[in-house]
Amino acid sequence: MEDQMKSLLRQLVRRIPIRFLKVTLEKWGRLTVAQQQNIDFTQTKWALADELIAYSEENRLTLRHITELEMIYVIDNPNQGMWHAFQLVDPESDAPAVELMQFKEQFKSHLNELVRNVSVKMKKNTDEAVWIRIAWGDSCSRPNNMRPTYVVHYLQTPYVFVTRLTSKQKTLLSQAMIIATRHQAIKDAHLSGRNFSAIRDLLMQEYEQVFPAKYPSALVERNQIAALPNIEREQAEAEVNRLQMACEAFGGGKLPQLQSVVYKLETKFKDPSNQTFTEREKPFNCVVTFTSKNLLESLRHCASSGIASTPITPLLSSIPRRGRNYFVITDKVSGPSSQINPTV
Amino acid sequence: MSLLKPFSRRPALNTATILLVEREEEFQQRLAEVLVEETAVTLNVRLAKSLPLPFENQHSRPRIDLVVFIVNLTSELSLQSARASLKYLDPGYFLGKVCFMATNARNAAVPQERLDTLRGLAASLRCTLLFAEDQTADGATNASERLLTILKVAAGLVPMTTALYLSNLTMCTVPSNTNEVDFD
Repeated sequence: MEDQMKSLLRQLVRRIPIRFLKVTLEKWGRLTVAQQQNIDFTQTKWALADELIAYSEENRLTLRHITELEMIYVIDNPNQGMWHAFQLVDPESDAPAVELMQFKEQFKSHLNELVRNVSVKMKKNTDEAVWIRIAWGDSCSRPNNMRPTYVVHYLQTPYVFVTRLTSKQKTLLSQAMIIATRHQAIKDAHLSGRNFSAIRDLLMQEYEQVFPAKYPSALVERNQIAALPNIEREQAEAEVNRLQMACEAFGGGKLPQLQSVVYKLETKFKDPSNQTFTEREKPFNCVVTFTSKNLLESLRHCASSGIASTPITPLLSSIPRRGRNYFVITDKVSGPSSQINPTV
Repeated sequence: MSLLKPFSRRPALNTATILLVEREEEFQQRLAEVLVEETAVTLNVRLAKSLPLPFENQHSRPRIDLVVFIVNLTSELSLQSARASLKYLDPGYFLGKVCFMATNARNAAVPQERLDTLRGLAASLRCTLLFAEDQTADGATNASERLLTILKVAAGLVPMTTALYLSNLTMCTVPSNTNEVDFD
């Protein structure tokens, strides 16, 4: 136990950049003020870890305290590793009544029933999110605290965000999650990304939405640059229209920083100039990936500047509408146009 | 189909109007801002994405003295759009009141054929082809100076010369293949 604590602390010190370390330690509050002031942040990380280990032994801190430190750091800096979104479906009648204490108890006890050696730690963040840290072990080994899984769930919403989860643990976690939140099933939301807040905002639709309006809205005024009197746009109306359509599809204002979208094409190859491929019976499989610093912003700009045609194809507009960034596209059975298949 | 006609309206005193057509609508805005700084004449700039121009503006639209097609050579669509817009111009414009402006010509990603196509297009219509640097402020200034020179002539503000005369001197020509064979 002692060794595990030491190695976890060492790993943590290695992971946390020096500029965050001081703040994180202050938030943690397990060191006395004198100890905090004594720490010399200019020394090497190895020496720093040694110093922290000495202090923790002095204060009789245990493994749980160290995991607390890790949670504080991860909650403040969630954009590490891939986050995957899941959605709970078919709520039972008492699902809206689930509150934190009950959820905590149920989740822990169910997970303990499924796997004997598992260590669960929960923390409620200021924004109503419940952060769950799970260190997995199996029947004959202790929980491995070095590679914990993080789960974020907003109570009373059907959304669950997970990072660092193997497929074996996925079944266990989803079972415990379903029972604790009083739902019937959980399904993959087909949304993943490195930026946690982006995928959360996209899925929970926490960004400015624009709705069709008969009269020009604030959008128009916002985008009218102090126009010089001698410059006139001939097609200003069309431009405003395009902007309105683009904003209706992708949302106005600041958009979630989604970084990639993947389309898996399972459609037949169609190109009149290439007979060899066109005549093949089998679908032509390929994967199209769009990546950008802020993909939704780029797509919106494409649409508003006329590079992409408006009205926007459902292929693009369903990214924000359905909160997904992984699509499988198959041929419609009747008709040549492609459709988005809801099942993967 | 509403044709844009060069002499459908009477000219205003000491006024010149230029129409900038660009599919991307990026460079035209910056170019327009530089153009209106000209003080010697009253300069109106109209911006459009493509032709034909909307019917509703017809009454407020002054006589357009020069039509400029800005073609971004990195995009094939830009060239296609300019080509498609040409048929909405009255033939009278092609007597020296149309010019092409190519941007991004130095970009290594631009296929040579696209520039050749544009050159061929300009030469077949007896139009001027200008090149401009669209990334820098200096580029926009230079481009606007060149356009102003042509515009003043096209608007009839320069005595003793006409747009047709100027375009005969400045129009784009394509070196014919036969000449090259002779050099070899």
